[in-house]
Amino acid sequence: MMMKRKILVALFSLLTVLKLSVTAYAHGVRIEYSVNLVVEIRAAYDTGEPMAGGQVTIYAPNDLSTPWMTGICDEQGHFTFSPDTSIPGIWDIQVRQSGHGDIVHIPIGEELITSGGTSYSTLQIVLMAACVIWGMIGTALYFSRRSNQNLPNRRV
Amino acid sequence: MHIPDGILPAAVSIAGYATTGVATYYSLRKINQKENPPEGIPKASLLTSAFFVASWIHIPIPPTSVHLVLNGLLGVVLGYYAFPSILIGLFFQAVLFQHGGLTTLGVNAIVMGMPALLASFIFRLRNFGGKESQLRTGIFGFLAGAFGLGIAALFALLLLIYTIPTYLDVEVERASIYALTLAHLPLMVLEGAFTAMVALFLQRVKPELLEG
Repeated sequence: MMMKRKILVALFSLLTVLKLSVTAYAHGVRIEYSVNLVVEIRAAYDTGEPMAGGQVTIYAPNDLSTPWMTGICDEQGHFTFSPDTSIPGIWDIQVRQSGHGDIVHIPIGEELITSGGTSYSTLQIVLMAACVIWGMIGTALYFSRRSNQNLPNRRV
Repeated sequence: MHIPDGILPAAVSIAGYATTGVATYYSLRKINQKENPPEGIPKASLLTSAFFVASWIHIPIPPTSVHLVLNGLLGVVLGYYAFPSILIGLFFQAVLFQHGGLTTLGVNAIVMGMPALLASFIFRLRNFGGKESQLRTGIFGFLAGAFGLGIAALFALLLLIYTIPTYLDVEVERASIYALTLAHLPLMVLEGAFTAMVALFLQRVKPELLEG
């Protein structure tokens, strides 16, 4: 009888210790995290019209000849994907439709740029176009002046 | 019409540059054989700027939109000057407007420049077997403008159709290329009419400009 009680006490003690140790283990908290990066692109023609149904091809930096993923833009020209952050570098995303398209280069890795694009602003375009046109008009004026000088009755 | 970078295989881009090199050499040689080669430079320069900005003028033709090209007009007015003129215009369009691209500059020059030379040839046919008249200038101006654009659209269609990468949905891409090419039919009429108007106007006010 005494022996039985001792065994019971020992068993109780063991359970208590086990319980305590289980409780103690549960106080150590571990948090793991993973950031799921989502890249959203919007493709539009320079008229502003969205590239609905444009075919998207994504190239990871470790293999620029084989597409990492392909997909289709929605009606608004939007497409989202989650790049594999274990492949850092410049990711190339091409959108094309009926032979038109563009490629955007997105750096993914330590230096993350959260937004960007491939086009100039309207002001930049107008300014650059004006410079080019002025250059061409200048060329025309220069050569027409030279040809006028060859005339015998020119006024000096 | 303006094929951007990254669409065509490298071999096609290189072949485009090679062909453009030959065509530019041939055009410059023909220009050099003229009595006074610099004489055509002012009008070539002005029409290059017109060509340069024309691609910015979009015309909505549902379900897509197209833009003016004016390569037929350049052929009619400039003759052999048209090819180098288009090459320069395309370079600036690629760099500033991102219409076309630098790797595809050669291909685009062939796509738009060759039909311009064809347009110049068509327009010269107006003097063939008869006296030059307003009617003939109008008709041949229209044909030159329309075919200049039409043949260019056809060149672009053939290049794109035969180089669709297999990882794309080929059927969808092919259908959209056909749709875009068909949208150039109304533009052919528009550019033909515009070229005819310019040709008739020049014939009335300064006919020597049309000798191209």
